Amino acid sequence: MRRGLVASVAAIVACAAGLWFWASSGPSGAREIERRLNDLVEELNAGTTEGMGTIARVGKIGQFFTTDVIVDLGKGSPPIHGRDTLMGMAARLQPRTAAFVLEVADVSVELREDGRAGVTLTLMIRQRSFGSGEESLDARELALEVVRSDGEWRINRVTAIDTFR
Amino acid sequence: MSSPRRILFGRNPRRTAARIIVLAVVCLITFGWALTPVRVHGISMEPTYRDGALNLVNRVVYRLRRPVRGDVVAIRLAGPSVLYVKRIVALPAEKVAIVNGVVEINGTPLAEPYVHNRGKWDVPEVTVGPREYFVVGDNRIMRVADHDFGRVDASRILGKLVF
Repeated sequence: MRRGLVASVAAIVACAAGLWFWASSGPSGAREIERRLNDLVEELNAGTTEGMGTIARVGKIGQFFTTDVIVDLGKGSPPIHGRDTLMGMAARLQPRTAAFVLEVADVSVELREDGRAGVTLTLMIRQRSFGSGEESLDARELALEVVRSDGEWRINRVTAIDTFR
Repeated sequence: MSSPRRILFGRNPRRTAARIIVLAVVCLITFGWALTPVRVHGISMEPTYRDGALNLVNRVVYRLRRPVRGDVVAIRLAGPSVLYVKRIVALPAEKVAIVNGVVEINGTPLAEPYVHNRGKWDVPEVTVGPREYFVVGDNRIMRVADHDFGRVDASRILGKLVF
C-alpha cells in the first residue's frame, strides 16, 4: 500500500516538474527578451517613485531602446521618433507620477531569422488618484519590434494595437 | 482517536491519492480551459457588474454556438490574463449607431433594460464586419471618451460570462 502511495506521489511530482519545465522552457533568445522587458518595467516603476528626471535613470532607460526607435501609440497622438526625443519626454516626468505602476502580461515572443523579434504583450497601468485614493486599471495591447544591438536586445518599434475599431 | 497520518491519507491512502490526482486534473481542465475565473476592474459595466466583482468566463459555449445580442463577453488583449468585459449589442453585418445615448440597430432603437442611466452619447453609424461584433459596456452615464467600446474581431472573444 505504501509503495503505491509513494508511486502516486512520485507521479504527481514528475508531472508537476514536467509541466514547470515545459512552461519555463523555450528559445533562450525569447527568455532573454522577456527578462529585458521585465527589467525595463522595473526601471520605469522605480522611476515613478524616485523621479525619472535624473540623468542616470534616463540613461539606464535609454539603453533599452535603439537610437532610431519609433513609438506609435495611435489614437491621435503623433509617433515619437528617436531615443533622444523619448528620453527627453521621460526626463520631464516628475516624481508626482508615483501614482502609477506598470505591469506586463501575456508576453509572446516570435524570433525571426534576421536577428529581430516580434513581441506582443498587454501593458497594464495601475493609477492611484492622489486626491481620492481610488485605484484605476487601464490596459493596452502593444506590439514591439526588438533587435539585437551591441550584444543586447533593444526595442526598435512600439505600436499600440486597438482592440476595438 | 484517529492518528494524524490517518486524517491526512484516509483509510485507504492509494484511493486518497487517486482522488487527489483526479481532482487536480479536473480542476486544471475546468479552470484552465473551460471556466476562467475573472475579477472585474473598473466601472464600465456598472450596474450589472460592480468594480471588484468575481465571475467565471465560459470558454466552451462559443464552440457550440455563435455569440448572440445581449451576451456579456470577455475579450482578450494580447492573451487571456487581461480581458475586457463588454456586452454584444450588434452582430455581424448589422449597422449600428448610438444616437443621444440610444443604440440603434439598422435604424431601429434597441431595448436595453440593463442600461439604467444614459449620457448623451452620439456615435456615427458603422457597419459591423462579417467576423466582428459591436460591444459596449452597460455604464452609459460615464464620459464617452473614457469608455472603450466598438467593433471587435470574433477571434478576440474568449467566452461568455457565466453570471
